Amino acid sequence: MKTIRLTVNGRAIEETVHERMHLADVLRDKLDLTATHLRCEQGVCGACTILIDGEPARACITFPSVCDGAEVTTLEGLEHDPVTTALRQTFTREHALQCGYCTPGMLVTARDIVLRLPDADEARVRRELSGNLCRCTGYGGIVRAILSVLEARRAGRLPVMRSCRESLGPVGSRPARPSAAGAPSLSAAPARATPASSMGPLGLAGAAPTVALRQAFTVAQPPDAVWRVLSDIAAVVPCIPGASIVSVAGDRVVGRMTVTLGPMAAAFDGEAEIARDGSARRGTILGAGSDRLTRTRVAAEATYTVTAEPEGARVDVTVAAVLSGPLAQVSRGALVEDLAARLTRMFAENLARLMAGDGTGGPGLAPAAGTALSVGLLLRALATERLNRLVAWIRAARRR
Amino acid sequence: MKPVAFETVRAASLAEASRLLREAGGGAKLVAGGQSLGPMLNLRLARPRLLIDVAGIAELTVAVDAADQVVLGSCVTTAAVEDGRAGDAIPMLAEVAGHVAYRAVRNRGTVGGSLCHADPAADWPTALAALGADVIISDGRTERSVPVAGFATGAFETALAPGEILVRIRVPVPSHSAAWGWVKLTRKAGEFALANAAVLVDHERGICRIAIGALRGPPLVVGDARGLFGGGPVGAGALDRVALNRLLGAHGGDGGTERALHVTALARAADRAAAVRSRT
Repeated sequence: MKTIRLTVNGRAIEETVHERMHLADVLRDKLDLTATHLRCEQGVCGACTILIDGEPARACITFPSVCDGAEVTTLEGLEHDPVTTALRQTFTREHALQCGYCTPGMLVTARDIVLRLPDADEARVRRELSGNLCRCTGYGGIVRAILSVLEARRAGRLPVMRSCRESLGPVGSRPARPSAAGAPSLSAAPARATPASSMGPLGLAGAAPTVALRQAFTVAQPPDAVWRVLSDIAAVVPCIPGASIVSVAGDRVVGRMTVTLGPMAAAFDGEAEIARDGSARRGTILGAGSDRLTRTRVAAEATYTVTAEPEGARVDVTVAAVLSGPLAQVSRGALVEDLAARLTRMFAENLARLMAGDGTGGPGLAPAAGTALSVGLLLRALATERLNRLVAWIRAARRR
Repeated sequence: MKPVAFETVRAASLAEASRLLREAGGGAKLVAGGQSLGPMLNLRLARPRLLIDVAGIAELTVAVDAADQVVLGSCVTTAAVEDGRAGDAIPMLAEVAGHVAYRAVRNRGTVGGSLCHADPAADWPTALAALGADVIISDGRTERSVPVAGFATGAFETALAPGEILVRIRVPVPSHSAAWGWVKLTRKAGEFALANAAVLVDHERGICRIAIGALRGPPLVVGDARGLFGGGPVGAGALDRVALNRLLGAHGGDGGTERALHVTALARAADRAAAVRSRT
């Protein structure tokens, strides 16, 4: 048995599975995502075709333990995808299915054809469909359905953009999780990226921020109590969704922040230094971090101020950050603000619960469980119609 | 069908993968994309106790597109080659890649994995042998190189010793005036080849090499194939079919229809090479 973590249709999941259980069985039997069909279990028929890291792959010959950490999208996760929506309409119109058994795999492959091969003609579409078997339709309707979406794309009626996958390795593959000693590689061949042991200078170091945010929330607690909790790094970090502490030395904290949004996930390893002005109830955080997998770097300066309000305390947060690397390309202002607003709301809720637990002896937020709980709450909050719209937007941006 | 029970481990380095392989003493199998191994596991044709996942080892997914050679990390996917993301100095590589299985398989299936799996009907062993590629093999400490033409020693058998790992593939870049032809014969697009053949004619480098695959064992590689074409221009018309039949027979190939398919594949590949040359 092995515990694996996947992002399935934008939702982080953790399952303990028999390692011989292939991905399609995990999706169907553990997660009740039954759109993924199984027939040959040899990688030939294509019924189980899903997206792994955004690209089509066979779920029947891919084992979860070799794609631990991957982003998986099944047909259920493509409900609001614009290309899939267009294909659904043309599949219906062209009678591109009869029994429907092959259809989930057909749609995933058809979507790939539309995105990857905008100039495909009928012969090319038929060749690309050779990995998806249909025993009912004779393919005529399926080919017509795909060709008509391709035509719409070429005519500009279906604005889609697609980014090129950066990694040259198998979709789903990830580096080994670091062991205690962090077994060094013997070879001096060029590695993708090496996480720096120290992030170097913290904060923006004079650079112009690419992201500037202002958030505020209120907590029904006295301002001084809120200030005290905010000054307790070990207590407050677990309130930040996805954040965890690696070590704390004085006002310097080394930690990790995992951001999951739709198909995107980044785990920033970083350091921050906190300076506080108790008389003004104002703190300043200088931080820097990098996500090893996406090679995204972030440098940030944040301030927080606690002021008195009739119903308790108001906390104002400003963030100025420079984001560089692949994630920066999709992190447009509106998107980041949307995410930041969610994170702030979750943080405020967690903080309120933590303080309520402190004050009343009620069910507080145990710091040890904080990270997982926060992420869980975040993800539940994110599972909204609004997120679906956002994810569609991100996917479109990603294809640029 | 479902596989028998096995365990998996993600190796953090070549040294670790090599050590695990040796410790398992034959009970372990390396997995890169697992697209050949997966069906074999499901069919219980393969029953390893341990799968060692090497696809996350960074140096195995690096590609270098230099002036004289293309170097592919062994875990570079066939899709990456198809897209030209792993370099575009050798157009034949993308042509071969685009007809290996299906896109959903190519997104995980790797070039090195195909070589190590050594299925006689696979495309990469034939194509890379024709291009004169060699592979770099590591035991976790030292490296050695073996020509692709000699890497497969039989059906599903390779020159890898216990604990050894294929690290990268070096493909020499043919000169600009080189001509090449690649032909894969199948009944259905994307399936394993009934016959495949490659021809490389590079006068600047003095190369006229052919490779024929989908035989019973490793591909038949003829390093100097000028004699097969009567010493003149390469093309189907010039092909000495009697001599080729004799060679195939000596190599242990099938007779009858299968032999005819192999000869046809090579003849068409020669014609494609001739067509490429006439364009330049």
